[in-house]
Parts: sequence; C-alpha cells; structure tokens
Amino acid sequence: MHRGVGFALALAFVCGATNAATFEVREVARGVFVHEGRTVALDAPGHDDIANLGFVVGTRCVAVIDTGGSVKTGRALREAIASRTKVPICYVINTHVHVDHVLGNAAFRDAKPKFVGAATLPAAINASRAYFVEHYAADLDAPASGADIVAPDHTVEETETIDLGGRTLSLRAWPKAHTDSDLTVTVDDAHVLFAGDLLFVGRVPALDGSVIGWREAIDALSTSQAKIVVPGRGPVSSDVAAAFAPERRYLQALVDGVREEIATGKPIDDAIAHVGQSEKANWQLFDTANAHNVSIAYRELEWE
Amino acid sequence: MPRLSIALALALFSAGTLAADAPPSSSGGAWQMLRTHFYADREFGEVDETFMHVEAPNATPDPSATSVTLHFGHEAIGKVKQVRVIIDNNPSPVVATLDVGAGQPISEIDFRVRVDRATNVRAIAETTDGKLEMRSAWVRAEGGCSAPPTSSGEGKTGDVRFRAGDEGKSLQVSVRHPNYSGFQIDPKTGDPIPPHYVSHVTLTAGGKPLLAIESGISISENPTFRIVSEQPIATPVTLEASDSKDAHFSATWNGGASKAVAAAGGSR
Repeated sequence: MHRGVGFALALAFVCGATNAATFEVREVARGVFVHEGRTVALDAPGHDDIANLGFVVGTRCVAVIDTGGSVKTGRALREAIASRTKVPICYVINTHVHVDHVLGNAAFRDAKPKFVGAATLPAAINASRAYFVEHYAADLDAPASGADIVAPDHTVEETETIDLGGRTLSLRAWPKAHTDSDLTVTVDDAHVLFAGDLLFVGRVPALDGSVIGWREAIDALSTSQAKIVVPGRGPVSSDVAAAFAPERRYLQALVDGVREEIATGKPIDDAIAHVGQSEKANWQLFDTANAHNVSIAYRELEWE
Repeated sequence: MPRLSIALALALFSAGTLAADAPPSSSGGAWQMLRTHFYADREFGEVDETFMHVEAPNATPDPSATSVTLHFGHEAIGKVKQVRVIIDNNPSPVVATLDVGAGQPISEIDFRVRVDRATNVRAIAETTDGKLEMRSAWVRAEGGCSAPPTSSGEGKTGDVRFRAGDEGKSLQVSVRHPNYSGFQIDPKTGDPIPPHYVSHVTLTAGGKPLLAIESGISISENPTFRIVSEQPIATPVTLEASDSKDAHFSATWNGGASKAVAAAGGSR
C-alpha cells in the first residue's frame, strides 16, 4: 500500500504530464507487464493516469489490458509496448466502462486490434459516450468526439480463452459488481490475475454496480489459483487472498451498516453520515467515495 | 431560445411534463418565471430558519438521488398546508407539490431528487392562514437527471415498502418505479428513454389525509418519501399512487416496525 502512494507521489512531483520518459512499466512475470496508475482524484491533475494498465506478450500476439484515462496515456502505453517487443498488438481488452480504463483505446485503433470487453460493455459505453465527451473532452484528441471512445467489437458473455501464441488468457465476465461491465483476465501460464477495478488496494473502492454482486465476485476471485494479482488501483501483490481481504471487509461493513440503518427506519442521509466510518483510516480518498458508496448500497439493499 | 421556453412552459403547468430533448434551463434558473406563475406578486415572509429550513448536501455524493429534508419548526407544525419544491437549474424545475393533511403535526419531510447541476433547491410553504415562506439550500451536483438506472432501478414496478422508525413517529414509504427522467440514455439504442414517472402519491393515516404529493421527473428512481411526526403516525396507512402512463398502485400498512408490504398494482 505504501509503495503505491510513494510511487504515485514521486511521479506527480517529477512531472505533471504523462510522457514516455516517465511512463514506467514493470515486468511482474515473464512477458507480463504492469503500469501502476497514480493515486489522485478523478478531477485532479494526473487524473488521466490513475488506473493500473498492463500488457501480455505471446509469440504471436500482444494483448493490452486497459488503456488509461486519456488518448495521451494510451499512446504512452503503446510506446512502452513498442520499446519492449515487436510482436503485434492483436487484442485491446477493457476490464469495464470507467474513463480511466477506456479513453486510451483510440491510441490503439490504427493497430487494428480486436477490442474486447464484457457483453455488457458496448451498451455501457454507448450510454456514457455523451457524458465522457462533455466531462473529459481534454482527455480526448481535439475536437473531442464520441466516435473516439472505442467500444469492443468482440464481447465475452461468460468466459473465453484468447491464444497469444505459446500462452493463453482466460477472460471472465461478471454479473453487476463494481460496475455492470466487469471483466477479469488471467494469464494462465504465469497465474497472473488482472482484476480490474474488482480489486482496489489502498484507495477506497468505488461502487457503481451492486454491493452484493461485488462481494460475490471477490469471494470467487480471492480463492482462485492466481499467484499474482494486479488490482485496478494500488500495488501488484503476490498474496492474492490478502490483497482482496481489506476490500471484502469494507464492502461487508457497507452491507451490514446499511442494512442496520434500513431496518431501523433511518433515511439515506443518516446512513451516509454513519456507515463505513470505522473504515475511514484504512483508505485513501475515503470521504467522497464512501458517501457515494453508502448511497448506492442503500438504494440496492432497501429493496431486498 | 424557443426550445427553452417550451420546456419551461410545460414545466409550469405540470410537475413532470417536459420535452425529452429540451436543453437545461438557463444558468439564471427558472425561479423568477415560476414565482410569477405560482405566486404572482404575493410577498414572502422574512427568512427565519426556525420556521422551516431545507437540508441538502452542499456537494451531493449521489446526484441521481440527493437527499432533501424539509424541517418544520414549532411555529410551522400543523400550520403548513402546502409546500412546493423547486430546483432552479433542473430541466423540469418543479420537483413536487406536497399537500399536508389538516392538523397533521409533521416536523420533517424527506425525499430524494435528481440534481442536474449546481442549483438552489427551494421550498415554498403556504400556511393555513395564507402566508408564504420560502427557504432554500445550495447543492453542487452534475448529471443527476441523465444518470443511468441503478441495480434496483428496474425492479417490479409498483412494489411498495413501508418502514417505520422512531417509535412510530417516522415512516418511510417507497414505490418501486424507474421514474425515467427522459434524459437517461437507452444503452441498446443510444436514444433517450422516454419519461415515465410517478405523478401522484396520496397517503392517509388512520383514515385522515396525511400527505398528498404531485411529483415529476426530478424525483429519483423508486420514489421515496419519509415523514416525521410529533405524534405516532396513525394506522392503517394507505397509499394510492399513479404514474404518467396512468398505471395505478395501492398498498396498506397496518403498523409494526419496518414492515414491508407488496402492493396490488395495475393499469386502469
């Protein structure tokens, strides 16, 4: 957790903008590379580089896993790939709809990869396109256009295997959890799990789907065979169960706290004021996200 | 700005009517126009937060379901007959008109609203002796009217939940309904989902009127109203509701803590 903060702060101080010189990637297993995003808020400088991104190199194909929160970040990732391998990029995989994971897609378009996502992702991108253009225009190439927000042309209903030549990726789409378009990627030979934002480490999880669905996804993922997990936010970990544990505890605190408020007839603003406060010291950027999470959880659980 | 005036004109005459493609109202908001329409040149009482105040988060954590609470002080309890709630900068500014049952000692009314951008949220109370009082709260938000449905936003339309608290002095009533604003996008087609919202909710307690609500698209999905009274709320509590497509829903609650009741619903 501390390494993640230090890394992000160091980057933020060294340079205000993303470029190839400071765009670090690390090989976490043979041919499996990760770029760790910064820990800043969605409206802060550097907000276009807050998600962890990755790529996996096979003998025939490279697969990119998430492309960053701007076309510029996507280009920096593409340069980082080009400096390490001549193998072509055949796949660009998005783990879900949020801007910090998809806006860089446009940087890969002329490589003509297959864009891959959960079966629910094209619709989610469709529904968000106008919002992204309005609020994140500066993160797209000018003039900002919805056409530059690239949706998948190949989708995954439940599970699918992708062959990169000499190694395979296992993709799994999830029912509503962090969002309604979550997808995880496992590098089968290296046992590396790209969890997307189904795993937040250090930074408070942001709920935009279903708190119950997310808890179920965590229970499945934390007992998987993976030996290394790449979270959507925060440092890579080689103790998969331990990496998921704080998030599982936080979501359980949300569920328990919100159910208690509902059962005693407390309104949503009371719940927002009370629930999750015991977790405050454990997470970065806690207050705003927790208030949002409690509201979303309350609106889900009041209809149980 | 012909479109703007059409939207405003529609908003004037019905809480929820709007042109689905209407732009948001101008930054000055719709208040001056609405004031003239509803209240002509009548005067408002001096601002005194002990009579009534509007509680809302200064920066909302959830623009599509921002909690608003109307608090009534001792001078107001039992003497307010109607409250109109207006969000100046929403595309359909008139949120709801609340008619308080005669003599009901209501000290608080809560509900959840969509807030599209930074705005005043106003409540104008009319007392039984014909005086007007206005209070407001400033809320910063973005995108509340176009936010997609949540995971519980498209459940079985017409289910009703009653939840009591505070030893029977508070009651939260929720109607399951998508309450489509007209500004949400259908992910399949990329087009706006047509507005479809709960337009009327009438509550009685022990056979007497408790609260009657005329509402529109600024009310959040699964419309929820909470009433806090100085006295335990009499039972049974009945709910009659209808929506903009003339579907009707009803439910009865006979008391007991936090009891959930499924409603008999249907279209006429």
